[in-house]
Amino acid sequence: MDTNGKQFKKFLEREDKKNKQYGIDNEKKQHSKGKLSAFERIELLFDKDTFEEIDAFVTPATVTTSFGKTTESFGDGVIVGYGKVAGRLVFAYAQDFTVMGGSLGTVHAQKISKIQQMALKMGAPIVGLIDSGGARIQEGIASLAGYATIFNNNIMSSGVIPQISVIMGPAAGGAVYSPALTDFIFMTNKTSYMFVTGPNVVKEVLNEEVTNDELGGAEIHTKKSGVAHMMYEDEEHTIQGVRKLLNYVPSNNIENPPVFINPNETPDWNEKLRDVVPDDPNKPYDVKDVIYLLADKDSFFEISENYAQNLVIGFARLKGQTIGIVANQPKVLAGTIDINSSIKGARFIRFCDSFNIPLLTLEDVPGFLPGVDQEHMGIIRNGAKMLYAYTEATVPKITVILRKSYGGAYIVMNSKNIGGDFNFAWPTAEIAVMGPDGAVAVLYRRELEAAEDPDTLKKELVKTYRDQIANPYIADEKGYIDEVIDPAVTRKKLITAFEALQNKHVNRPSKKHGNIPL
Amino acid sequence: MLLELKEKHTMRLGRSSKKELKKLIAVDSQRKKFEFPIPFTDVLKVSGKESEVVIKEDDKLGTYLLFRNKKYPVEILYKNQNRYEVLLNGVSYFFTVETPTSYKRMKFLSTKGGSKKNENLEAPMPGKIVEVLTEEGREVRAGEPLLILEAMKMQNEIQAPIAGKVRKIHVKGGQNVLKDDLMVEITAGK
Amino acid sequence: MGIKSILIANRGEIAVRIARTCKNMGIETWGIKTSNEPRAHYLSHMDKVFDLSDEYSEILVFLDVEKLMDIAAQTKVDAIHPGYGFLAENAYFAQRCINAGIKFIGPSPDAIHKMGNKTVARQIATQHEIPLAMGTTHSIRDAEEAKKVADKIGYPVIIKAASGGGGRGMRIIHKAEELAQMFRLATNEAEKAFNDPSVFIEKYIQNPKHIEFQILADSHGNTIHLGERECSIQRKHQKLLEEAPSPALTPELRKEMGDTAIRIAQAVKYESAGTVEFLLDQSNNFFFMEMNTRIQVEHPVTEMITGLDLIEQQIRIAQGEKLSLTQDQVQLKGWAIEYRINAEDVQAGFSPYLGTIEKMSLPSGTNIRIDSGIVEGDSISPNFDSMVAKLIVWGEDRQTAIKESKKALNKFWIKGLKTTIPFFRTVLENESFNCGTFTTSFIEKELDLMHESTDEEEILAAWFATLQYINEREKEATDQVDFEQGKNINPWVLNKRLKSF
Repeated sequence: MDTNGKQFKKFLEREDKKNKQYGIDNEKKQHSKGKLSAFERIELLFDKDTFEEIDAFVTPATVTTSFGKTTESFGDGVIVGYGKVAGRLVFAYAQDFTVMGGSLGTVHAQKISKIQQMALKMGAPIVGLIDSGGARIQEGIASLAGYATIFNNNIMSSGVIPQISVIMGPAAGGAVYSPALTDFIFMTNKTSYMFVTGPNVVKEVLNEEVTNDELGGAEIHTKKSGVAHMMYEDEEHTIQGVRKLLNYVPSNNIENPPVFINPNETPDWNEKLRDVVPDDPNKPYDVKDVIYLLADKDSFFEISENYAQNLVIGFARLKGQTIGIVANQPKVLAGTIDINSSIKGARFIRFCDSFNIPLLTLEDVPGFLPGVDQEHMGIIRNGAKMLYAYTEATVPKITVILRKSYGGAYIVMNSKNIGGDFNFAWPTAEIAVMGPDGAVAVLYRRELEAAEDPDTLKKELVKTYRDQIANPYIADEKGYIDEVIDPAVTRKKLITAFEALQNKHVNRPSKKHGNIPL
Repeated sequence: MLLELKEKHTMRLGRSSKKELKKLIAVDSQRKKFEFPIPFTDVLKVSGKESEVVIKEDDKLGTYLLFRNKKYPVEILYKNQNRYEVLLNGVSYFFTVETPTSYKRMKFLSTKGGSKKNENLEAPMPGKIVEVLTEEGREVRAGEPLLILEAMKMQNEIQAPIAGKVRKIHVKGGQNVLKDDLMVEITAGK
Repeated sequence: MGIKSILIANRGEIAVRIARTCKNMGIETWGIKTSNEPRAHYLSHMDKVFDLSDEYSEILVFLDVEKLMDIAAQTKVDAIHPGYGFLAENAYFAQRCINAGIKFIGPSPDAIHKMGNKTVARQIATQHEIPLAMGTTHSIRDAEEAKKVADKIGYPVIIKAASGGGGRGMRIIHKAEELAQMFRLATNEAEKAFNDPSVFIEKYIQNPKHIEFQILADSHGNTIHLGERECSIQRKHQKLLEEAPSPALTPELRKEMGDTAIRIAQAVKYESAGTVEFLLDQSNNFFFMEMNTRIQVEHPVTEMITGLDLIEQQIRIAQGEKLSLTQDQVQLKGWAIEYRINAEDVQAGFSPYLGTIEKMSLPSGTNIRIDSGIVEGDSISPNFDSMVAKLIVWGEDRQTAIKESKKALNKFWIKGLKTTIPFFRTVLENESFNCGTFTTSFIEKELDLMHESTDEEEILAAWFATLQYINEREKEATDQVDFEQGKNINPWVLNKRLKSF
């Protein structure tokens, strides 16, 4: 380029100034906190040299009052644009903490809103890299209005395009509701936190000392509150995780999920599956071992690994085809369904349903978790969420009953009568209204009290119950399940069955929206 | 299984147009670091001498490393994100594999929260809490028994790993715990 | 009357071990198949198997006296061998066998009872002037009494369960303040483990060696000892490594201790194989600790240096035979060391490591013996102890045995589990182990690291982890995701999908 050209002088000056703004000093500022700069994050997210920035040169709104000051800068503290992730169009915005603490002013908000609307128009996923002190106080109500617009866009896009939020710094106050409205939240341990009211307010109001990390750090949100889904130890791997997740989801709710070419396949016939479920019906095992044997090798991407661990959810691939897996975890709380696991499962099922991702349910559930706590906190309402989500879902739905399948929990876990397309059972399955001990106690209370040797009687009754009621063959013969299968052939069965279901469509009565028990 | 170890490994971290990844750093649980250049090579320098590592596999040992004519059976026991537990010759090694940037961050964060180290005691194995021997707010010395965990038909005394104050107790007598369940939090003393 | 068939009321390696001798002696063996491990390896060593795999019961059959008596009646066996653990030292079980006309391979119920109750054993020892650590010969009722006794004999003291064994219900108290709490813990644990909360107090001998003598006694009044075993390498009172003989004993001391052991056995009219355990302090004073009225886990080291088959001896004694040798004929030849290869995570404080043995490759040789009840593909389950195998190495002297052991341990490969092998490699390099001065506090005091690891190993492990990381990242980068295929939707479903919005 001819640098002497007069008309380019201004252009080059601006370029220089902008490059300086995002230069080494900017990076250093973030690095000194253990964080990466907004641009570095963007570069990590997108395929090499594919990112195109929009509105790079906008300047902050003019503030007429003398309260606080506004720093001169291009971009108003947020980088927005689009690029390719694994070759596919993805929109993104990245807040820049070095510009007024990444605070959200009018222009900042407009930029985010613009990119959100573009993503929605184009039917492409959007990723938000969040690192912001919150609403820009100087700009007053205009900032709040900005947030409202962003929330509105989040909600309009919900169920239409996948939305992912990555928390890489603070997200406090109203700002937390944008991530909360998106489909998945990623957090980086130790340098990101989210809360509605911060430690200072907590201290003032309740006189409780608490740090940012203890109040709303990544560990808290991925283990305790369940607000965030994924936690990584550093930002590079956090973003790597986002890229990985994107490979499982379609661009919008009309497309089908992407397909893996040349997947690492596991054998279709696997004897090991026969040994995963222990002979003793009360012995725990890790349901993830079943998942690893069924899904393509290394394809299982677990969501919310550390929250409500009695239910395992995540994406996987079967012969390259994306599926969502919901599995009871006998290793934790014996695999019972409680409030948290129901909510975790329901939300995941609804995501999969929104984006045409078929669902595989691996069932080993002794029932709902009993207890005063659970009842008082509303296991009825909350347990209904998963029931609602499963029944409402129109994507292909297949269940494999591995072992226990008792009572209300049997119905909830995608039973045939709430719309399961194929329900298979392993020979180890026990399907009944309740477990043997419970059933014997209810029906033979008097006999047991009167018996000379109640233990022996009980043993006999339990055996009769298992033989006559709690086994898969009765359900099979009555048509409540489709087939009792050899565990070794499960993968093959699933591949064929999902293939048969790929053009499934269900007409639902038209309505504004259902009323899921929230 | 392992991908074939290629002659020369070239890789780029992420998609940065500016930075080419020059090395990776494996950091063990004691923060000891092992640096490996990118392109990755199979020649290692140990005690001043360079030798080649070869990955082999046979029926007897499964996968093993052949280094200076010695065989080291090796397997990955656990991996999650960039964390690995490698079992080599019967001994576990815990590493996180870091890029120069993430390593810098790790060092920075450890100096930041360094002086006061709090301990979260997690259940070493699944079992049943027989008795809680301490109470919240109590000052404890290192090695003081905090609770009794019954597992594998044995009663195990769980002791305070550091001196400090019991901040919170998450379990009570008679309760069943799973491996890694949080049991007691201790705030480090002076 | 000769024994023609034996019911082995045990599992794992000891069941295999017993069956081996039975086979040599032409005795038919019966094993029991349980629901916990219906495919267990030990069953393949039995002539006949009694199948209980369909029965789920709260109580394990090997602990269920009634069930075992029932099985014995159904299988019409001549004798029951209880192995170790489970009902091996249960006087009631032994009595029930006798009542049913079945030989119990072990001592009389009376001897089991007397030695099983530690306070009774202490009383007997006192009567026969056997050296004992200072302490009580009756059980202590409450913490107050415990304090009085402890004050009298001086700290540190140890509280032990009267019905105890195997380290359970034991507490060491260094200071008076700790006594009340420890007393409570010990009684609780004793109650749980042995159904008997009674405990007694002894002076705690610091840094002792654990020396035990193998006894053989027949029903004709002959009692001999087969030398000692040194079992000082312990963790939480659980033995990990045993050797015979002990590097600490002179022939004179061996004779003195051996004679004492024989006296104790004779005091209860002991018949069968048994073990008398002593503590040996640093001035070579020894104290009677307890007598185990069963075959011990570590019996192979004695077999290796005496050339005797102790199980065979047990069976012969049970069928009324006289001992085939006298004390003078007992020859101790060479040195044997046993390593308990347990599925334990040494790095996590020896906690049990559950898992499946994917591959196992064992050392072999004329001076190497392996007793194991597990094969490739088997799992270590939380229902039973974590032993994978016992490796026993013999050498002409201790040095040779250690040298051969190093070789053998380096050829012992197990994939899928973490084991105590790395721990033993460290022990064998340890100076105090090599010169033989180690005591029961060896692990706490002498070992800085519980496992051996060279610089090379560390770097190789780091290299391997990094290689995995690179492979994964490269795979992620080269994985081909076809987004186009997701857009290729069958018109049947596409039209309906669009209409439904």
